[in-house]
Amino acid sequence: MSGDVLSQASASAAAPEATPLLETRGLSAGYGQSLVLRDVDLAVGPGQVAVVLGANGAGKTTLMRSLAGLLPFSGDLLVDGQKVGAVRPDRMVGRGISLVPQGRGTMSALSVHDNLRAGAVSRRDKAGVEEDVDRWFTTFPRLAERRDQAAGTLSGGEQQMLAIARALMSRPRLLLCDEISLGLAPRIVQELFETIAQINVEMGTALLLVEQNAALAMKVASYVYLLEVGEVVQHGDAREFEQSDSIRRVYLGY
Amino acid sequence: MDIFLTRLFAGMTAGSIYAMIALTLVIVFRSSATINFAQGEFALFTTYISWWLSERGWNIWVTLIPAVIIGFVLCAAAERFLVRPVRRRDEAAVLIVGLALFTGLNGLSGTIWGSDDKVYPRLVPVSIDSFLDIAGARLFYDSLFVMGALVVIVGGLSLLMSRTNLGLQMRAVATNQESAGLCGIKVGRVFMISWGLAGAIGAVAAAILVPILPPGQLGLPGMFHMLIFGTVAAILGGLDSIKGAVVGGLSLGVGLAMINGYGSALGGSISLTVALVVVVAVLGLRPSGLFGSKRLERV
Repeated sequence: MSGDVLSQASASAAAPEATPLLETRGLSAGYGQSLVLRDVDLAVGPGQVAVVLGANGAGKTTLMRSLAGLLPFSGDLLVDGQKVGAVRPDRMVGRGISLVPQGRGTMSALSVHDNLRAGAVSRRDKAGVEEDVDRWFTTFPRLAERRDQAAGTLSGGEQQMLAIARALMSRPRLLLCDEISLGLAPRIVQELFETIAQINVEMGTALLLVEQNAALAMKVASYVYLLEVGEVVQHGDAREFEQSDSIRRVYLGY
Repeated sequence: MDIFLTRLFAGMTAGSIYAMIALTLVIVFRSSATINFAQGEFALFTTYISWWLSERGWNIWVTLIPAVIIGFVLCAAAERFLVRPVRRRDEAAVLIVGLALFTGLNGLSGTIWGSDDKVYPRLVPVSIDSFLDIAGARLFYDSLFVMGALVVIVGGLSLLMSRTNLGLQMRAVATNQESAGLCGIKVGRVFMISWGLAGAIGAVAAAILVPILPPGQLGLPGMFHMLIFGTVAAILGGLDSIKGAVVGGLSLGVGLAMINGYGSALGGSISLTVALVVVVAVLGLRPSGLFGSKRLERV
């Protein structure tokens, strides 16, 4: 695998006029009295790779948790142009949207294999599920070696691989990734990004990434949202963003 | 030796019953992290139904079928319509709902069937010579039946947990509710089924224990002691472990039988005191019990 796969992913954007797979209109969310997200509008098309950049506390995780049905919010959430009523995690999975939460979110007492099987409970095709288990074991050989080990005994990088594979087991059309680089060695981060980029290219799975590692995320993404104190302050084509000096300095640091 | 064996058998019989009650508590605790104090009263209610049907000429074994179904439906409905709406607002209030169910169900049983004790038929008829002679000690068939019932229940549960999709979902919810939801598991439905399952097992356990534990009759206060012993067994075992409930129940039963047998100088019935001392000791020395999960995490 080379770094090329990263830019291949960003090239496979959907036609702009297609109905977005996921769209928010005036989405606001928070905890108790304090509002963390204000009037966020964003859209991810089928097969598109978008990234949300922002500093700590900008509301990135709140955004992802709202989209996955873990947090209540106000405003509209649309999937395939249809407004989503009661937003619950299992229903979002049913609609083809799957989250890799921050802090891994594996089920520590369950074996690696059971974690993957649990990721596929929404599916009815038993044979296909086992095929996918094999597929991700091939993609992540280190997980295959630890197949019957409790997930809680894995290293941080292995748990992140498991969390990604688990989220993919439902065959999502859109994978939400909340800081998959957090706390991992650069080499493993590079590997993980190459893997999800390849998944995007091969399977057409759309990606919405939330990242602090902006440089790497920008290589994969074709569209960028900048989030500042809970609001989208700018958004646009990733290649154009890379041309802008001020944005490069502030967000990309090079 | 024969006295020791007699006490061991008695202890294992009682212990099997404690283990069954503990199992119902553990199944609920694993999913929703609450102790259902009304678990015994649900079982009391279904046993009254079973008794009432047997009075109408039903075979006592056949009455278990409606008892188990009603136990499942009642507990599942209690979770869905009473516990869940309250939980959303306040976790602690769930305990209050449990206490309300406890008194409510007991009162309901009393209103429908009266407060006088009922003779509940034995599932396994006994006569004076229905026992095995083991080194001079008598192992009665109904004791064997109780232990056998525990083996069947635990075996069935283990298969459910390890071999079925529902079991996988129950284990996933027990480990991490949020991650289970992100897998697409309907967490609320797993809660409801877990409560129902506990209600169904409770119905069987009560039908077995009522005729063989003193006073041997079906009465309104009958389940309260059982719930305490079952809770102690569950805590001893770690509250979220099926294996723990079994080991906890059996060791509590055997331990109490030995203490009551050999420690008669301490006075007639000190079981309850001993049981409560065990709870306090376990909570102090080893809060996660014998087999409770200690939340192994690597970061």
